[in-house]
Amino acid sequence: MDKKELIEKLKVIIKPFTTNTEAFNNLTEETDFIKDLNINSANLVDIVLDIEENFDIVIDNADMERMLDVKTAVEIIETKLAAK
Amino acid sequence: MIGNDVIDLAQSRIESRWQRRGFLEKLFTTPEQLLIKQSSEPEIMVWMLWSMKEAAYKIYNRQTKIRQYIPKKLDCTILIQENAQAKGLVSCGENIYYTNTIIDKDSIYTTAVCTLADLDHITAVENKNIFKDVNGIPYLYNAAANSYQDVSITHHGRFEKLAVIMK
Repeated sequence: MDKKELIEKLKVIIKPFTTNTEAFNNLTEETDFIKDLNINSANLVDIVLDIEENFDIVIDNADMERMLDVKTAVEIIETKLAAK
Repeated sequence: MIGNDVIDLAQSRIESRWQRRGFLEKLFTTPEQLLIKQSSEPEIMVWMLWSMKEAAYKIYNRQTKIRQYIPKKLDCTILIQENAQAKGLVSCGENIYYTNTIIDKDSIYTTAVCTLADLDHITAVENKNIFKDVNGIPYLYNAAANSYQDVSITHHGRFEKLAVIMK
C-alpha cells in the first residue's frame, strides 16, 4: 500500500469523528486531529481502535501517546505494516 | 493552576461506545477498569474517570507544554464519593492533582488543582476576555488588575464552563 492509499484509508476512518468539514476536505499530513479537525479527545481512542481493526495491526500505548496528527498516524501504520 | 472538563451525557451517548472492545483497556489502568466493572453505574464511572483525567491533563499540559495522548499515565484514585459528588487524586509521574467532580443526570463536571487547599477556591466565571498563548493555553484578562490569570475552559454538547482559582 502506498502512502496516498494509506491516507485515503485513514480519512475514511477519521471522517465520522470530524466536526470541521473544511479542515477535513483540506487534510494534509500536517493536519492535527484535535486542533484542526476538532476531534473530541474521547474519540481519539476510537480512531486508534478503528486503525487496529482496519489495518490489522496492534498499536501500543507508546505509539498511541504520539498519535495526534495525520503524519504520526501514517508513520506508525507504515512501521507496523512493514513489520508484519 | 486550574483544569476543568465537562461531559454532556446526552452527547457522549451519541459520540462514544464505551462498551466497544478495547475501549476501556486503552484508556484506563487495571484498577480503574475494576472500578468501572464493579460500579452500579458503569457508564457514569467511565465518564467520571475520563473527566478527572482530562481536567488533570489540562494542568499537566500548562505546566509542561507537552501534548500527548496519555490517558493511562493519568492515574485516578477516588477518595470520597457521596451522592452526586466525588473527590479524588490524579497522578501523572511525579505530579499530583486534586479533583472535585459533580454529577447530575445530564452532566459530569470535574475541576482539578495542584494543591488541596485550592479546591475550595475554584470559581466559575462568565467573562469571555480570554487570550491564548502560542501553545493554545488560555488566560483570562482581568481589567481591574490589568493582569492575566490562568483559566480553564471546557465545552461539550450543551455545556460550557470556565473556571479560575480565586483567593
